[in-house]
Amino acid sequence: MAKVVKIALAGEGGQGVQSVAEIITEAANEEGKEALYIPNFGVEQRGGVSIAFVQISDKEKVGSPKFEKADIVIALSDRAVRRCAQYVDGNTVFVYDTFIEGVEDDLPKGAKKVIGIPAIETAKNELHPRVFNIIIMGAVVRATHVVSEERAKQALEDKLGYKFEQDPKLRELNHRALARGMQLVEGHL
Amino acid sequence: MADKPIQGEKRMFMTGNEVCAYAALAAGADIMYGYPITPQNEIMHYWTRLAPKHNRTFLQTEDEISAGFTTCGGVLSGKRAFTATAGPGNTLMQEPMSMAEMMRIPAVFIIQQRGGPSTATVIYSQQEVTMTCYGANGEGLRIVYSTADHQELYDYTIKSFNTAWKYRFPTFVLGDGYQAKMRESLTIYDPELRGIQMVDTYPLVGLPGKAGADRDPAHLRNTYNTEEELYEVVKELVGAYEKFAPEIVEHKTVECDDAEVVILCHGIVSRAAVEAIRELRAEGVKAGMFRPITLRPFPTEPLRAVVQKAKKLLIVESAEGQFARLVLPSLYGLTTPLETIYKPGQGITSDEIVKKIKAMA
Repeated sequence: MAKVVKIALAGEGGQGVQSVAEIITEAANEEGKEALYIPNFGVEQRGGVSIAFVQISDKEKVGSPKFEKADIVIALSDRAVRRCAQYVDGNTVFVYDTFIEGVEDDLPKGAKKVIGIPAIETAKNELHPRVFNIIIMGAVVRATHVVSEERAKQALEDKLGYKFEQDPKLRELNHRALARGMQLVEGHL
Repeated sequence: MADKPIQGEKRMFMTGNEVCAYAALAAGADIMYGYPITPQNEIMHYWTRLAPKHNRTFLQTEDEISAGFTTCGGVLSGKRAFTATAGPGNTLMQEPMSMAEMMRIPAVFIIQQRGGPSTATVIYSQQEVTMTCYGANGEGLRIVYSTADHQELYDYTIKSFNTAWKYRFPTFVLGDGYQAKMRESLTIYDPELRGIQMVDTYPLVGLPGKAGADRDPAHLRNTYNTEEELYEVVKELVGAYEKFAPEIVEHKTVECDDAEVVILCHGIVSRAAVEAIRELRAEGVKAGMFRPITLRPFPTEPLRAVVQKAKKLLIVESAEGQFARLVLPSLYGLTTPLETIYKPGQGITSDEIVKKIKAMA
């Protein structure tokens, strides 16, 4: 990976891409890295494609908040797949959810790799729909190595610890979702 | 006076709006007046969360015209007062801002630029440069700091209160939607620890004693009857502004000593420029950057010194020449070739700058 890892996470409003970006960048910051995260949104409160631009660097402060091409793009809806084509070049790993229908022709042709993962299905059938974004977080963590699994778990604790206290099963569910997300991309890299 | 909310130094990871609220708190701001508008909303949100814990106050007004005037009112009563706005709110607030110029009211305004004209986008631009520097009727007797990152948002928000109260001109922190919404690291600190003494505030009205007998009248006027009267007052204001300007101006240069191509930019765009310079230098292209931190007053002398040594100039901004219009008068008489990247309302990356400079060579 390049010195600055550039990630574009895109989905429909409500899929939780912004919280994933927030948790990952906070984890990277805690690890002493320089992280920059900016959400991109339109005037609508709901119903738009929501994109999180994330950049993580080992030491140096990150430059401009937006970038032209990403190292990894994760697109979680049909509109997100189309909207994110512009961030893909020959160095980009493009991850999309296999549950999305009708985007076969829109998947980027020039990407380094295009990976389909069944995150939505896994969340629904194996775990719980509410941890869908944590599965995605696991996929990002494994695909980029911007933070360690341990640090990612700590970041979850920081963010959701108060909920885990009330219901310890939630902690276990989130950890499983994280591990499952990591597994989903494992074989493709 | 309130307690010390920020103790020592602390590395934080947060949004620019949060940074502004913390900085105002650290600067000892007493009150924020505000009206919500994206992308500065969270300055209000964080301030309303933090303020009551530290004996500070907040007033939400019915619109931005009112937010601007109440801020002026707060200052007149001796409070370290501020407001924040963006886009159409900045437009509406021009009237109180021009009153602050006329009456030399040391109000602090934080602007997080969004795209324009009108409602336009809620995200990002550098399209509020002209309005923030020269909006409203009058001569633009304002101090405008253009910040590039969260550390500067913190530093200059604190500084703006001191500049305002020391020189008694309305003072602006000009950020943008990216800075407002993005998260990155910075160090927050207690200003006193770094030797920053906050300038004392004092009421400008309602002073003790009888005006004319025990003391001079405050005589704060905003209305004049004759041309001659106004002329004299404005000339006095301009004179004071110009006298202080050399103490106030600030700029930053990167690799300008031997630079053949100098990038002129401000605010967050300078981050892309610095990155571009790093890449270009690695390939043997002698590029540098001149960046005004104060857009008003403008650092003309240091800019001329840099430009005189350069072979080519490149102005880069997320607006259609608003920054260029500030730069060009400073270059009067020079013939250095100049090119531009104008991207109104859109972010600029280092790649674009690198490409352009290579094409210029």
